[in-house]
Amino acid sequence: MPRPAHKTIQLTIDGREVEAVEGAMLVDAAKQGDVEIPYFCYEPKLGSPVGACRMCLVEIEGIPKLQTSCSTPVKDGMIVHTQTERVRHAQNAVVEFLLINHPLDCPVCDKGGECPLQDISFGWGLGRSRMIEPKRHFEKPLALSPLVAIDRERCILCYRCVRFSQEIAEDYQLIFAERGSETYVATHDGHPYVAPFSGNIIELCPVGALTSQPYRFRARPWDIEGAGGVCTLCPAQCNVTFTVRDDRVMRVLARDNPGVDDGWLCDKGRFAYQAIHVDERITRPLVRDGGELREVSWERALATAAGLARHKGHTGALAGGQATNEEGFLLARLMREGLDSTDIDSRTGVGVGAATLRALSDPRLQASVPDLEFAHTVLLVGVEPLDDAPILDLRIRKGVRRNGVKLAIVSARPSALDPNAALRHRHAPGAEASVLTELAAALAGEDRPGRSEDTAALAGLLRDGGEDVVIVWSERIGAEAAAALARVASLLELDGRDGAGLLEVPCGANGRGLREAGVRPDAGPGLASLEGDAVGRDAPGIARAAADGELTALYLLQTDPVRDQPDRALWEKALHTATLVVAHASVLTEGLREHATVIFPAESHAEKEGTIVHPDGRLQRQRIAIARPDEVRPGWAVLAELASRTGVQTEARRSADVFAELAAAVPFYAGLTLEEIGGRGVRWPEREASLAAAAEASAAQASAAEAPDGRRLSPAEPLLPREGELRLGTFRPIWAAPECEISPALKFLIPEQQVELAPSDADWLGIAHGDEVTVAQNGTRIKARAFVRSTVPPGSAFLAAGLRGEQSANTLTEPLIEVRRA
Amino acid sequence: MRTILFENIDEPGLNTLEVYERRGGYRALRKALSMSSDEVLSELMDSGLRGRGGAGFQMGRKVSFLPHGDMEKYLVCNADESEPGTFKDRELMQKSPHMLIEGIMIAAYAGEIGRAFIYIRGEYQLQADILEAAIAEAERAGYIGQDILGTGLNVPLVLHRGAGAYICGEETGLLDSLEGKRGNPRLKPPFPAIEGLYHGPTLINNVETLSTVPAIINMGAAEYAKIGTETSTGTKLVSISGDVKRPGNYEIELGIPSREIIYGLAGGPPSGREVKFWFPGGSSSPVLTRDDLDVPYDFDSLAKAGTMLGSGAIIVADESRRVLDTALKLAKFYAHESCGKCVPCREGTRWTHKMLERICTGEATPMDLDIMASVQEQIIGNCLCVLGDAMAMPIGSMVKKFRSELEADIEAARVRAEGAPAADVVALGVADEFAGPLPVH
Amino acid sequence: MTGGRDSVPRFEHGSRVPGWDEAVDLTKDPAVVPDPATTPVPAELRAEIEAAMAKYPDRRSAAIPALHAAQAVHGYCSPAAIDQVATVMRLTPAYLTSVATFYDMLETAPRPPHDDIFVCTNISCSLLGADELFDAMIRAAGTDETLHVRSFECLGACDIAPMASVNGEYIGPLEPADAERIVDDLRAGRPVLPEKQIRYRRSVDPGAGTSHAAGERATEFGVPAATPRADTAGLDPADAAADRPGPAAPLEYPAEENEDA
Repeated sequence: MPRPAHKTIQLTIDGREVEAVEGAMLVDAAKQGDVEIPYFCYEPKLGSPVGACRMCLVEIEGIPKLQTSCSTPVKDGMIVHTQTERVRHAQNAVVEFLLINHPLDCPVCDKGGECPLQDISFGWGLGRSRMIEPKRHFEKPLALSPLVAIDRERCILCYRCVRFSQEIAEDYQLIFAERGSETYVATHDGHPYVAPFSGNIIELCPVGALTSQPYRFRARPWDIEGAGGVCTLCPAQCNVTFTVRDDRVMRVLARDNPGVDDGWLCDKGRFAYQAIHVDERITRPLVRDGGELREVSWERALATAAGLARHKGHTGALAGGQATNEEGFLLARLMREGLDSTDIDSRTGVGVGAATLRALSDPRLQASVPDLEFAHTVLLVGVEPLDDAPILDLRIRKGVRRNGVKLAIVSARPSALDPNAALRHRHAPGAEASVLTELAAALAGEDRPGRSEDTAALAGLLRDGGEDVVIVWSERIGAEAAAALARVASLLELDGRDGAGLLEVPCGANGRGLREAGVRPDAGPGLASLEGDAVGRDAPGIARAAADGELTALYLLQTDPVRDQPDRALWEKALHTATLVVAHASVLTEGLREHATVIFPAESHAEKEGTIVHPDGRLQRQRIAIARPDEVRPGWAVLAELASRTGVQTEARRSADVFAELAAAVPFYAGLTLEEIGGRGVRWPEREASLAAAAEASAAQASAAEAPDGRRLSPAEPLLPREGELRLGTFRPIWAAPECEISPALKFLIPEQQVELAPSDADWLGIAHGDEVTVAQNGTRIKARAFVRSTVPPGSAFLAAGLRGEQSANTLTEPLIEVRRA
Repeated sequence: MRTILFENIDEPGLNTLEVYERRGGYRALRKALSMSSDEVLSELMDSGLRGRGGAGFQMGRKVSFLPHGDMEKYLVCNADESEPGTFKDRELMQKSPHMLIEGIMIAAYAGEIGRAFIYIRGEYQLQADILEAAIAEAERAGYIGQDILGTGLNVPLVLHRGAGAYICGEETGLLDSLEGKRGNPRLKPPFPAIEGLYHGPTLINNVETLSTVPAIINMGAAEYAKIGTETSTGTKLVSISGDVKRPGNYEIELGIPSREIIYGLAGGPPSGREVKFWFPGGSSSPVLTRDDLDVPYDFDSLAKAGTMLGSGAIIVADESRRVLDTALKLAKFYAHESCGKCVPCREGTRWTHKMLERICTGEATPMDLDIMASVQEQIIGNCLCVLGDAMAMPIGSMVKKFRSELEADIEAARVRAEGAPAADVVALGVADEFAGPLPVH
Repeated sequence: MTGGRDSVPRFEHGSRVPGWDEAVDLTKDPAVVPDPATTPVPAELRAEIEAAMAKYPDRRSAAIPALHAAQAVHGYCSPAAIDQVATVMRLTPAYLTSVATFYDMLETAPRPPHDDIFVCTNISCSLLGADELFDAMIRAAGTDETLHVRSFECLGACDIAPMASVNGEYIGPLEPADAERIVDDLRAGRPVLPEKQIRYRRSVDPGAGTSHAAGERATEFGVPAATPRADTAGLDPADAAADRPGPAAPLEYPAEENEDA
């Protein structure tokens, strides 16, 4: 879909010639001429202006009435006055009206000092009130949710928060109730406003009416500093500003980057900073001594970990999503050069093979995040943006709402985006490969008996709905499905087309960066192909080998496989059997608590320095916002130390040195510097130098790489459930993260296991919504609560993975389950 | 003078298709359909018919603003007659619903519109029931719906009942309400003719305006334009109420002296009392006094007199009435009906209401009248829609025209409340500068 | 809602809006679009809402008709009623709460199924004694929960001022003494004050402008006493209660009234 073209025009504001983009709102254009027009309700991110606050009235020559500059698009030759008596009279009037019922509690208001109402009253008000009637006084503050407090006395009804709920998050839980001067912000029947993006309303509020429960009264604007950073709690990698007071993160605000997050944050990103400053945080090295983990000196911990040298060729390593590129790169060197081990992975479960992945991550085939907003069609395959990369959910909604993007969803489980979708294709859990193969056949015009109407409709939409197609997918769909996806992409000719392409959401926050740094068993830095003995085991292979005693040591860089990987029992056994388990962690999750030999305290995302790669290929910098607490040391430094103790040659003295080594090792990072990445990041698929290097590298590898071929695939049909059984689908809820579990403010969101069932299946099983049920297979059983949803396709049932303890879905390993009332 | 809208109005069964047709009903629709839509449009333009809802905008021009081309366009009949004092549309819909339906169809044809709605206020249950039955009849007879009179035109007409909100009479508030939302007015531009209902171009007209359309087609625009004055053509229904002997709806030719309506038709105040003040165009028009009785009753003359014709509703108060009581009712009404979207209206109406209450309870001083006048000036022209102005203009005019009476009321209420003469303003500790109105452009 | 005998409670600082002082109940789940699998809806209500939705290009347009229908079933727009509408309309309950609280005719305060008595107290009616009428009405209704007396803004019938709308039936001009009669008629299930119903009222002066003679028939205020009861809605007053509109079949005037006309 073509993006709007920008034409520059001239207008006059207060006698100054101003250049502006045609169609821009006057209030924005005025800023170009250094003219400030005050406003409260205007916020372009929230969609079309509402003109409710009336603060931005200006005089435009040729129009008799004063106009709201927030809703007046500029035209060439327009002559605008913002300083006339008439305008001043209107501004004074609005300020007076706003203040007649606004309490004068600025000294005890959290917003004080960073409050637009304060600033505008000072700048554009008369500084007096003629109202002698009593102001409204009410109970304050009241809870709007466990995260947000509401003070209705202070509210100026600017519409920002309700518009966010209604038009951005589209959860439509926050509303105006009643009418006129009795209007107030409310929810239905006293339900709390709990939604994945609810925290954004705090930042939007131009007065102190909506405040953050965790931040209330923790600091004053003059006590704090802002530090730019990146949230690495999920692959969306939203840009944030940490509010820092005395080396503690007090809150997290959005740092608007249109290429990444559009200025919004999810509640996990906004509130899980609490996990940085809790007692559960590991801040000193731990070593298991007599079965107990004990705090020890760094020297002792490093010495113990250096014992890895005795496991050369028998060490497996896993890196979690929060590891930086530098850490991943050093881990790969430690493994491959220092420990002669090839068993290293950063994926969850069985990922996509290197050959297919190389084809799918061809830079000419990469879509960017803004492409989601302007595509003709967006296809989601096996990915639930709300859980996997929440901020993309908002971007997709924006595209559908504003630009009429057609959304197609191919998934087993009902998606939060279903109501926005033009087409929904539900399949059996695990059947992605057969759906995509069928889709490819339909696109190729092949005749296949028994093709479903859904597939034909989907093919029609993708083929005829406009050429800019963006496919968002997850590596969880598996190797076969990925190969079929490559064929779909080639049939749709997405290659090299601006505004179209693929966008993979990896399982780990920095999944893409770790892969590019060489944290894979089958590829080196830059996805360089490996051959023969150089190819190691993938994550499930590592688990099996460790459980069988073939691998005797495990290195866990910010991951707990018992929690993060499928097949919990196998990993328990693997960790139990391994004689040396070295881990970097900030929280003691269950696998580490039971089995780790050495634990190095890991940095939080506010303490780390390094680079990460966004799913769309954008390298971003993490910077140090606060000092590392207690004895925490940088992860890269620990890895470098261990590497040099095992004989790896590294000159790294700073994180930047490691990045330089990495940039030298990865062809498509050619010439990249930290300065170039800067505060907004840089998409390497858009860099000339990177593209040239990537093309050269791929030509060199052409012979080695086996081109993926969807045609020869004929994936197995999904298993038909046997009598009395349901197909099992799993998903990882947004809140299933250790950081949420230890953040006091987010604890209420931690999901308990529930099994999502279709009403017909629930009927037939005699299960009612909310019943306690047992989910069983092969003698394994977990407890859950029945959650009857009419959108769940009959025959399937869904359970959450990533939860704490045995109730998590990774306890189950088979595709079919029995559900019974407990 | 001629009767157009009220011709046969009390004929039994005029609300049925049979009687309406017998009286020449739907002939205009047939005639219009035999013309091109551009011809119908130019008839509407030439008739000079001005909107009867309040703003007085030329109806034909409004239709001509609709963009041409293949798109969903809508016609919405504004039957949310809520302006205090106004009840003409009620009578039309109750007694001659088919005239309205016929007018809607002709206007839809002129604007090449494919879907029509009537938004009727929820309180008009009888009228809504009658209209619904008439719509069903007209649909069966092929006047609306699919393939109208065999022409292949499709214009479904749906009656939509409101639920009690004055602001839904404001055209964009009405659109939001019809879309199933709170009836908050929208920013203009875009005007409804460009982007209205469901984002489509939308023509919005009042019941009386649309009911006049069949007559214009029947008699021809030129003939119609001869009635009334040059800039206010045609006849107008005037709802007159309050202190008059014969309250009700009268069809007048625009331009006759106001005195003729108030005294001639409605019989003037009962018991020989004199008119004290009157609203010429619903409660939102600035009040006139007995000195203004000879102002011709048409759009331009009333504008010249500093007020407006509005919806054509005259409310008369005789000399036995206190201005204060009416002002209080008025402010209370507008504060209650303000939608709350924009600041000056939401806060200004409430504040004005509180000030007037304070006058009644004897807690005010004459200074409050200055503040009140200033607050009205702060509202006028600064709001999102006209509701704020609708209170500020009449209240402002009352304070201006009846200041000495209001001062006397303030004093009397103070004495009643305190049992003593008023304290000096300065003694209240309020500096003089607070009393002055804010500078105005 | 402009007050009334049992209008929402007033707070000492001048607000009458109960919600202002209320926190949410943190034990509740967020109010998302209810799942039809877990929110049963009476079949008739569902059918009515679905029929309303079918009339519009956008289903949300049916919000007001749907809430009206639910209010008729539940007595007011209770949280349960709103949940049911939300289930059928596939909207969040909050959307509907927002709409329901905006409009005067949609009630959100608990109330059993009831008769609505709206007394107009706007300018024209109050000039002619509406406030006294309202007081009389309140007294006449007493503590009967099934009679809901409200003062209302202009109902658009200033020609019969002071007036009231009883279950949608406009009656006037009224005197305070009529209040008892209204209550009696309602309790007895009779048509309310048929001789004062607007459906039977002639236009005050159909020939306005052509003949001022009609003026001769006027009494001091209000309806000319000599005006015959012209059932222009097409119903005989006698079976007005049977079914209200039914205008498809025209009724002839009774002979003697015809002559009069």
